[in-house]
Amino acid sequence: MSLLEFFANHTYRMVFFGTMTIGLVSGALGSFAYLRKQSLVSDVVSHAALPGTLLAFLVAVTVFGVDGRNTVGLIIGAVIVGTIAVLFANGVANTTKIRIDSAMAVSLTLFFGAGMILMRVIANGEYPGKGGIQDYLFGNASVITTADLYTSVVTGGLAIVVMLVFWKEFALRTFDPGHASVLGFNGRTIDVLMFTTIVIAIVIGVKSVGLVLMVAFVVTPPAAARQWTTTLGSMVTLAGIFGAVGSGVGAYLSIAWGNVPTGPLIVLTLFALFVLSLLLSPRRSIVMTSLTRLRARKQLQHQLETTP
Amino acid sequence: MTTLACSSTNLSVAYRAEPVLRNVDFQVPVGSVMGIVGPNGAGKSTLMKALLGLVKPLTGQARFFDQPLAKVRQRVGYMPQSTSVDWDFPTTVADVVTMGTYGALGWLRRPGKRERRLAFTALEQTGMADFATRQIGELSGGQRQRVFLARTLVQNPDLYFLDEPFQGIDAKSQQAMVEVLHTLRQAGKTVVIVHHDLATLVDYCDHVTLLNRRIVASGQVAETFTRSAIATTYEVSEDQAAFLEFAS
Amino acid sequence: MSFVVGTALLAAVTAVACSLPGVFVVLRKGSMLVDAIAHAVLPGIVVGYALTQNFDSPVLIIGSALAGLVVVLGTEWLGRTGLITGDAPQGLIFPALFSIGVILVSTNFANIHLDTHMVLAGDLNLAAYRQLEIGGISVGPQYLYVMIIVLLVNIVFLTLTYQKLKITTFDPEFASTLGIATKWVNTAFMFIVSVTVTTAFNAAGAVLIIALMVAPPATAYLLSNTLPMMLTLTVVVAVIGAFAGFGIAYFLNAATSAAMAVFYGLLFIVTVGVERLLRRRSQTRSNALMSLDRELS
Repeated sequence: MSLLEFFANHTYRMVFFGTMTIGLVSGALGSFAYLRKQSLVSDVVSHAALPGTLLAFLVAVTVFGVDGRNTVGLIIGAVIVGTIAVLFANGVANTTKIRIDSAMAVSLTLFFGAGMILMRVIANGEYPGKGGIQDYLFGNASVITTADLYTSVVTGGLAIVVMLVFWKEFALRTFDPGHASVLGFNGRTIDVLMFTTIVIAIVIGVKSVGLVLMVAFVVTPPAAARQWTTTLGSMVTLAGIFGAVGSGVGAYLSIAWGNVPTGPLIVLTLFALFVLSLLLSPRRSIVMTSLTRLRARKQLQHQLETTP
Repeated sequence: MTTLACSSTNLSVAYRAEPVLRNVDFQVPVGSVMGIVGPNGAGKSTLMKALLGLVKPLTGQARFFDQPLAKVRQRVGYMPQSTSVDWDFPTTVADVVTMGTYGALGWLRRPGKRERRLAFTALEQTGMADFATRQIGELSGGQRQRVFLARTLVQNPDLYFLDEPFQGIDAKSQQAMVEVLHTLRQAGKTVVIVHHDLATLVDYCDHVTLLNRRIVASGQVAETFTRSAIATTYEVSEDQAAFLEFAS
Repeated sequence: MSFVVGTALLAAVTAVACSLPGVFVVLRKGSMLVDAIAHAVLPGIVVGYALTQNFDSPVLIIGSALAGLVVVLGTEWLGRTGLITGDAPQGLIFPALFSIGVILVSTNFANIHLDTHMVLAGDLNLAAYRQLEIGGISVGPQYLYVMIIVLLVNIVFLTLTYQKLKITTFDPEFASTLGIATKWVNTAFMFIVSVTVTTAFNAAGAVLIIALMVAPPATAYLLSNTLPMMLTLTVVVAVIGAFAGFGIAYFLNAATSAAMAVFYGLLFIVTVGVERLLRRRSQTRSNALMSLDRELS
């Protein structure tokens, strides 16, 4: 398929720009989760987004009697419940002897289990517009509508703006949390802002990518970008670019090849970017470091042999 | 007139059920250089963190210049142990030192030319100006300590808390550190140092607090830093204390 | 054996079989690694099926367990390079493997419907559907006996390696100096975890299996001071949760694994609350001790 044909098609355009937006926002904001060493929080959030979305759907249909598929309403529900899941995991890890990995695992399965029960409740009931809730599990990029795209551009843009406005505070808290407190910044306020933006980045992607694969959008671009950069600004920028380019390429390939699911193909594209970064980045790559080590060893051997 | 830069009353800290500090009444006169010494696990770092609100005390409170910390935050600087952060973080030396100005900037205001100039001056003071654009991960242990010191200096506080600034550093860094301490002392600043080397304590400090979960003794070095007080603090005999004082 | 009793028993046996190795998973800070392993199972099953054309073949279990091991070893290797920090290594490999699984299914096996519920949450009732008959009498689901075998294997493995696991969990470096092959103990243990995850996959799916493996030990950990106590409490919690979850699911007409995960989660929250209450009481006591201290000095 030529690029011209590709972009002439409305559905393809939506898939392309929709997934690129998701990749850009989650890559950039994922950098902070990465540097806080809490990348897997994204997995908790994407799983908790399921009950959040379904609750929002149920509330909209039964309480307000409106169309449950309203994207903004669903996103708000998912953001609220996703944030609760993160706070729960961190709260347990900070106040009990349970460590963060177990706290996240319990939080993830509790919320996902609740989501599966809610899903059964909705499937059994007579609710208008309940089709499509399956998409949240494995994701379906081909159903991105113009309204969906605008919503993710606006909400994702909002998250990016918050990140830029509080850049100084985010950087300070991420590098040295204790120092931030000593300087008089309320750590909890910064954390809530930071994690809410990360939650937004994840939530706008779940429906297109699926809750299982969303973690890759948050973890992989920053991990790849980290290999090439030495400052926070360049890392966040490059992670955003990697996320957007990887998503665009993956989306294009999935359509060009036909019948290959988009989300998984994007994940594999991102993974390829990551592997290339590990191998090729000039400063830290595996190839470069082993070459330098080899050369140094040879040199030393040479010196030892020539000097009696 | 205020004569105390920092004072705590009845300060106790417990991690889980184990008390780490018991009823500590800690007082630092303005303009003094106060060393905190004690054996491993005596709660030296914990005392600093509790004073600064980084760990929540079980009982008691701390005041700075006769005010609660929230009112005088900008007058209080803190240099943590260098192991407390991830040195693989993607940031440069200049960026880290500039972070010291963020407190004065407050929320939302961004660091500009002025802040960067202040950071550069602080780097010059610690002899690290040549490293300004380096990534922090490339520095040696001593250089990292000097960057942390510069980050504290750039804040220009009146009261400095330095947690083991001499821990594992090279001779050149030690030299730089000592010079800065000297300058601070001459400028009439108050300094609190956690220190583990009893032999050099008298070179840097005019006051000392002997700590082992509680305060054993505290005051002017000449009167307080006695062999019997050291023996009590380290739970050893006086002969062994003499050895500690000499050889540590 | 009636279908209900057989299925309830299956839930309990699966929960215990998962949660016993789960004790060491929690203590080794590997809870989220179970997440990674469970998702790698999908490509393992797909490739195994492509080779054997048979869903019941043991090749599927071995293949999936090996895929799980790939994730574990790959994650550990990524961590060792020092290039990736924090918990990111765990989130890098499994989505790629899972993606390969999804792509393989959707492009090569168009005739097989990939049931998303089944993959993520499993279906205990379906797993319990095929009954084992001896002499014309039903003695419960076939799958129940598979899980009993896994449970026995786990018990034997944990008994044989108990001391080594304990010491490598507590202080791996010290264990190495004692001459214990820390690396092999770890690999063997993770293989057992992978096998357990793979066999329990039918009952709980890729996500909720984590609940069976992590939630009971985490709850027990809050209340225990010794390893034997933690193991005992884990079994108790696992069994209670299995029956309660089964009952709730039966009542709500929902998936058993989902109800079990929610029940375990809620039980965990209650335990956290109780534990904090107990600790606050002991802190008040040490507070009182301290003021007494002050008066005396």
